[in-house]
Amino acid sequence: MNSEDKTPPDGGGYGLFWFNCIALAAAISAIFIYVPTEKTEGIIQRIMYYHVPSAWVAFLAFFVVFICSILFLWKKEREWDIYAHASAEVGIVFCSLVLITGPIWAKPIWGAWWVWDARLTSTLILWLIYVAYLMLRIQTEQDSMRARYAAVVGIVGFLDIPVIHFSVLWWRTFHPSPKVISQEGLGKGMDPSMLATLLISLSAFTLLYFLLMGQRVRIEKMKDEIDRLKKER
Amino acid sequence: MNQLGYLFAANAFVWAGIFLYVFRLMKRNRELKKDLELLKETFNKTIEK
Repeated sequence: MNSEDKTPPDGGGYGLFWFNCIALAAAISAIFIYVPTEKTEGIIQRIMYYHVPSAWVAFLAFFVVFICSILFLWKKEREWDIYAHASAEVGIVFCSLVLITGPIWAKPIWGAWWVWDARLTSTLILWLIYVAYLMLRIQTEQDSMRARYAAVVGIVGFLDIPVIHFSVLWWRTFHPSPKVISQEGLGKGMDPSMLATLLISLSAFTLLYFLLMGQRVRIEKMKDEIDRLKKER
Repeated sequence: MNQLGYLFAANAFVWAGIFLYVFRLMKRNRELKKDLELLKETFNKTIEK
């Protein structure tokens, strides 16, 4: 008699990996070769093609945390907790990239690395909330309590995202107003080649999110399998 | 630092961040896979005895 093989399948697989490599290569080519240099900001504006997709992926990741946390509290299934945990970690990586690329763009444009502006501050708060989410998971020893507390933080933390999105409209901020979803219409506030580059970059980063999520979920499932085998021994 | 320097810095941070995270995931994945296989082997040997 052999132990039942419950090794989780490869998260995403090679197909998604190579497709993502092609998408990222296309995004880099578009950013540095295809798109024209912006007139007022110069080449530094190209940072936007990393900054905006990173912000989009961070929001998507935290939205997944929000949905999976609700589903966990409702159905009490470990699966949802795994997805929420994995997505929070990937979200923090991309939110960190937003908080790094933003100040690098701001220094030559605003003359300061950081200003305590509504959008910047609310994004920093978002990052801190999800860092606290991961710390809470590490600190809480009991499995059921850990998942429940984390789910509550995951749901409450998401409430900061609408504040971040509307902060440029509600308050007077230094941060540029939305260009893709503008009052003129979807994508109307941008040059078509810049919009195309941004969309290529957004797609590549979104694919990267799914690839990383797949790997992170796989790790969590392997940990569960190891725990199960140790208990069976 | 000129604009090119800032653009280079942003690029370096983005790709370094992504690659570091990917390598961290790959390393963790490999370690856990190894642990799991070892545990299964031990488990099967114990049952056979």
